[in-house]
Amino acid sequence: MIAPFFKFGMFGTEASLVVAFVIGIGFGFILERAGFGNARKLAAQFYFQDLRVLKVMFTAIVTAMVGVYALSRVGFLDLSKVYLVPTLLVPDIVGGLLLGMGFVVGGYCPGTSCVSASTGRVDGMVYVAGMFAGLVGFGEVYPKIQSFATMTPMGHLTIAKYFDIPYGLLVFAVVVMALAAFVAAEWAERKFGDGSAGTTGGLLESTRRLTPARILALGLLVLGLFALVGGDPYRGNTVSIDPRALALSAGRGVVKVSPGDLADSIVKGTQEFRIIDLRPAAEYAAYHIPSAENIPLAALAPDSVSSDDKVVLYSDSDLQAAQAWFILRATGDRAAYILAGGLNAWKDQVLYPVRPAKPTALEAAAFEKRAAVSRYLGGTPRAAGASSVQPIEPAPAMVAPIAPPAAPDMARPKKRAAREGC
Amino acid sequence: MNSAPETHPPKPYWNPYLAGFLLGLVLLASFVVMGRGLGASGAFGSVTAVAMHAVAPAHVQHNAFYSEYFGDGSSNPLKDWLVFEVLGVFVGGLLSGALANRIAVKIEKGPRVSNGWRLAGAFVGGAMMMIGAKLALGCTSGQALTGGAVLNLGSWAFMICVFAGAYALAYFFRRQWL
Repeated sequence: MIAPFFKFGMFGTEASLVVAFVIGIGFGFILERAGFGNARKLAAQFYFQDLRVLKVMFTAIVTAMVGVYALSRVGFLDLSKVYLVPTLLVPDIVGGLLLGMGFVVGGYCPGTSCVSASTGRVDGMVYVAGMFAGLVGFGEVYPKIQSFATMTPMGHLTIAKYFDIPYGLLVFAVVVMALAAFVAAEWAERKFGDGSAGTTGGLLESTRRLTPARILALGLLVLGLFALVGGDPYRGNTVSIDPRALALSAGRGVVKVSPGDLADSIVKGTQEFRIIDLRPAAEYAAYHIPSAENIPLAALAPDSVSSDDKVVLYSDSDLQAAQAWFILRATGDRAAYILAGGLNAWKDQVLYPVRPAKPTALEAAAFEKRAAVSRYLGGTPRAAGASSVQPIEPAPAMVAPIAPPAAPDMARPKKRAAREGC
Repeated sequence: MNSAPETHPPKPYWNPYLAGFLLGLVLLASFVVMGRGLGASGAFGSVTAVAMHAVAPAHVQHNAFYSEYFGDGSSNPLKDWLVFEVLGVFVGGLLSGALANRIAVKIEKGPRVSNGWRLAGAFVGGAMMMIGAKLALGCTSGQALTGGAVLNLGSWAFMICVFAGAYALAYFFRRQWL
């Protein structure tokens, strides 16, 4: 599996912004050509006169849905890496009702208003201004309604999973529903419309020819039938592992995170990694790396870790972490790393760093930084010199820090990561 | 030759099934390339958060809604996928409108409503829409279209409610459109 390309690291964040711009151009162009820069065309949907909104939306949904399904089943796309907006059922329902009402009152939705405004429509520009006003209003009252806005969280959840229906069956059902809705829409347009919409280029066009719309409908139906018998796009994938490539990538050290880098990440509060302590619970209770969670090696299952997580595995030494790494990697392609040297190295390099005997200015500065990190994480920097004032062995016993001192200057306030959704 | 707009009538809109098919391909490309779908409302949130931060930084830092857009503070909220995507939407719309002779400074409305009422409706509707989109974590693009294609539970609940809300209110606003 090689897609999604971005999630497999084929290009970076900067390049993704270029991709965003190009995709946006395609999106905007099509919205305009669909007639969605015109509020009257959009609103006609709600008076059964011109059901373009329904036709365009559901053709797009069904096209992308069968495409995603087919690409997942042929092993090209890893569907588990495609972002799902988390479901918050009550806010979704209330927000949807409010948005629908705003659609009729204002005539646009956020995407279509951009197209309307950029083609000179004054109502589109005023609508965009209204959106900013709504945002400021929402932002100001958010602290008061936060508990409502975050209620009924159900996580990243598909309909198939929630109702325990086979995903492929659902794909087929949505295709059939959409095609039925198109036929009903064209019938309604004939009954309620002024005859301008749906007479040509539709499914019910009075010709026996296989028109483009009919070919598209047939194509979608065939892909839907394929989904009906094709199995689950999430679970059905057979992961082919090449043990040699796996072993070599482990040997190259590319899968290791140094204790210093991990410590920096913790201090900065980026929550970049999910840290997993593989030791028995008792040892975890005695000491663990801050923010680490405990999954003893014996209890580690492939589904303990979602494929979205960037995981750092550690134990006392490298050995158990490497075993865990193979368990995770052999059952799916995911970002798993080993803490280089395990807890022993963490202890030596992060918690109790040793000041070089005759440091150069550069070494001294580096040590000061390490010392600050060490104190933040509850450790004690040690001095080492010719006189060996402080013994290096044995290292002090590790205990969980009670109250860490002020964070070093690299620390930033910890906040929730920005949402990926709309 | 007279180059007045009336001699260049706008090109007709595309067949909706064709437009939907192409839109579906763009959405599919977004899934394949980025692992995420389309969006719109999120970009306006980022811009608003940055604008508010410029006016009242302390206020923004203590507000859970705004501060979320700043993440851990290590990156500029405007260097965001959705912000660039929505910039593209503006450009793509302009491009298509120009090529179809559809650029015009005008107000889209039914014949029985005044300009003032229509613009007031656009403003209020925009505000309502955005409050709804922020509650639901997405709009017609990010929730209905994107979540619809990957059978997201919340997106389908949202989509049904969008149509329900719109049809419930449509009768009372018929003068604005018909």
